[in-house]
Amino acid sequence: MLKVEDLSKNYADFVAVDKINFSAEKGQVFGLLGPNGAGKSTTINCISGLLKPTSGHASVAGHDVVSDGKAARQNLGVVPQELALYEDLPAIENLRYWGKAYGLRGAHLESRITEILETIGLGDRARDLPKEFSGGMKRRLNFGCGIVHKPPVILLDEPTVGVDPQSRARLFEMVEAERDAGACVLYTTHYMEEAERLCDSLAIIDHGKIIAQGTVDALRAQLGALDVLHLNGGFPVDAIKAAIDRLSANGLPDLEIIAQEENSITLTLSQASQHLPAIFAAITAAGGNVSETSLRSPNLETLFLLLTGKELRE
Amino acid sequence: MRFALSSFKKDIARLSRDKVSTLIWILIPLLVGGLVTTLMGSDVKPHGVLLMVDQDESFLSELIAGAYTAGELGELISVEKTTLEEGSARINEGDVSGLLIIPAGFGTAFLDSTPVTLTLKTNPSQTILPGIITNVTEILLDAGFYAHQLFGEEIRLMKNLGDDPPDALIAAIAVTMQNKIEAIAPQLDPLVIDLEIVEPPPKEPAPPLALLFLPGIIIMAVMFSANGIASDWWRERELGTLRRLIYAPGQLGSFIVGKALAATVIIGMVGGLTLVVGFLYHGIPWAKLPSSLIWISISGVALFAWFAALQMMFNNQKTANIVSSMLLFPLLMAGGSFFPLAVLPGWIAAIGRASPNGFIADKLTTEITAGSAWAIDLNSWLTIIVGAVLGLAVCAWRLRSGFARA
Repeated sequence: MLKVEDLSKNYADFVAVDKINFSAEKGQVFGLLGPNGAGKSTTINCISGLLKPTSGHASVAGHDVVSDGKAARQNLGVVPQELALYEDLPAIENLRYWGKAYGLRGAHLESRITEILETIGLGDRARDLPKEFSGGMKRRLNFGCGIVHKPPVILLDEPTVGVDPQSRARLFEMVEAERDAGACVLYTTHYMEEAERLCDSLAIIDHGKIIAQGTVDALRAQLGALDVLHLNGGFPVDAIKAAIDRLSANGLPDLEIIAQEENSITLTLSQASQHLPAIFAAITAAGGNVSETSLRSPNLETLFLLLTGKELRE
Repeated sequence: MRFALSSFKKDIARLSRDKVSTLIWILIPLLVGGLVTTLMGSDVKPHGVLLMVDQDESFLSELIAGAYTAGELGELISVEKTTLEEGSARINEGDVSGLLIIPAGFGTAFLDSTPVTLTLKTNPSQTILPGIITNVTEILLDAGFYAHQLFGEEIRLMKNLGDDPPDALIAAIAVTMQNKIEAIAPQLDPLVIDLEIVEPPPKEPAPPLALLFLPGIIIMAVMFSANGIASDWWRERELGTLRRLIYAPGQLGSFIVGKALAATVIIGMVGGLTLVVGFLYHGIPWAKLPSSLIWISISGVALFAWFAALQMMFNNQKTANIVSSMLLFPLLMAGGSFFPLAVLPGWIAAIGRASPNGFIADKLTTEITAGSAWAIDLNSWLTIIVGAVLGLAVCAWRLRSGFARA
């Protein structure tokens, strides 16, 4: 339903998206997880026709977005990261206008508008102006305008940015409803928990490249049972590295340094809580000191950390 | 094109919510027009008062008083007799155009051909009417001099006739004067040149000055509304709706057509209202209203398109608005909205007519002052239509070349 092959987008010497590949099927939510500036929105913009790819291909429902752009866009619903609404037109008029933009007319359009208003929970505010809405209500209307023509492929570009928890939960329900109705959804986010909750499969993207891809379970399996231990304090780089290597060679074989600086160090190992005294002792013996400790169990965020050495939200 | 209609309705609904802007677009030109018309005094001719202190009260002094109000001069000047005190006070206050003092003994002195002084004081704060009064006075003095040259002997005879002159003597004097007039007639009116009198074609009366202001005032309303509606591209960009438009399949052309149609209607309404006010005030035949309205509506779309194209060239809305407004007022100035092109020096008027709004105002002047409706030539219609289409094409190019995406 949605296929991206070797897609690249360059701005002069800067490579925003670097030969990425993924595909998503009908009735599936595909996540694109990555920090800000990773290339998620650029990928969405290339698929939606807003930007022309430098190389590679993307197709929507079998239509190439460049050579058969009109047909591709007809099958595509886009919910942009920024709001795209007429604040001075009633909510229902916004839906009607964008429905007409995709060729919907008459009774079909009106029934679809009723359906969408119900879905986004704005049935009783249909005649009100969006400028009188809360941020969450605007987000929901923004979502409704993107799917009013019932597209088989939906692109959602960080739809929950700046949204209150209640509206966020409502948006999740709406995305799930569209998926259950058979839509193929491409969902970009930098919130690990959103990706874990919504996505059937996902790709982790950083610096324009996909660094991991698969179902959520498969990606979790890449971590095994490794915990992530993050320590703050003072850590003489060479001495600490030597101490950790010794510890790894003497009974903690899966202990590994992910990232190390003068004032912080990130380690992975299984059952980390049981080995904390040994680790602290080794660090102290090497001339370091620990002022703060955090221990995380395996999830997508720790996978991102493992793959890139940095936090997802940095 | 169905989507063009949807876009048109959408823009009409949005723009009609902004009633304050629409009111400003209409009221400012009407205010300027009202002020200009008041200052120009519509078609009222200037009129001045000449105060006359007649200390002589003779036949000749009465003759002089009559000379200032003879014929068409009477429409410009009225003569009021007064005392020296009151006359001096009123001329000092600047209340009148001039004060003429005819001293006692003026009639006798004239008949005796002895020197006598007429005193004329004029109002320095006025220019035209005191000038006319001075010229008339000089002509009267010249006439008196020539009367003495021709009929000096007869004048002296008449002076000595007493109260009951014999009829025969009066008849003799009259005959003598008639003979002199006949004798000098060939010199005064020498018919030595065979003249072919060719009457110039009847000149159409020049339209009143206040009427010449009307097209500029109407185009001012059109310019304000065109510039205001043009900024809606930027508003849409800020709303993100242009970006959403790009997601929709192949609707860009319809979107632009819809916007142009909405601009036509709004500009037509704003310009049309000022047009109706002008037609009512100046009594312009209503038959010219449809052609004038269509002209300003199409011209308005052309101005809207070019203002929009200009604004879309800039990277942010603030700069776009500043540049657009900076251009607006010099254009209004050059294009005859503050001074009608017809009253400007030729070379300035030529520059004005070369400006887009000057061209539009000039043709509208032709339309409302011509003998019949639809006086604007075909080339002008084509020029403005092509201008509108080209302007919209530039807008479409900017939308596709990144303006909508940003």
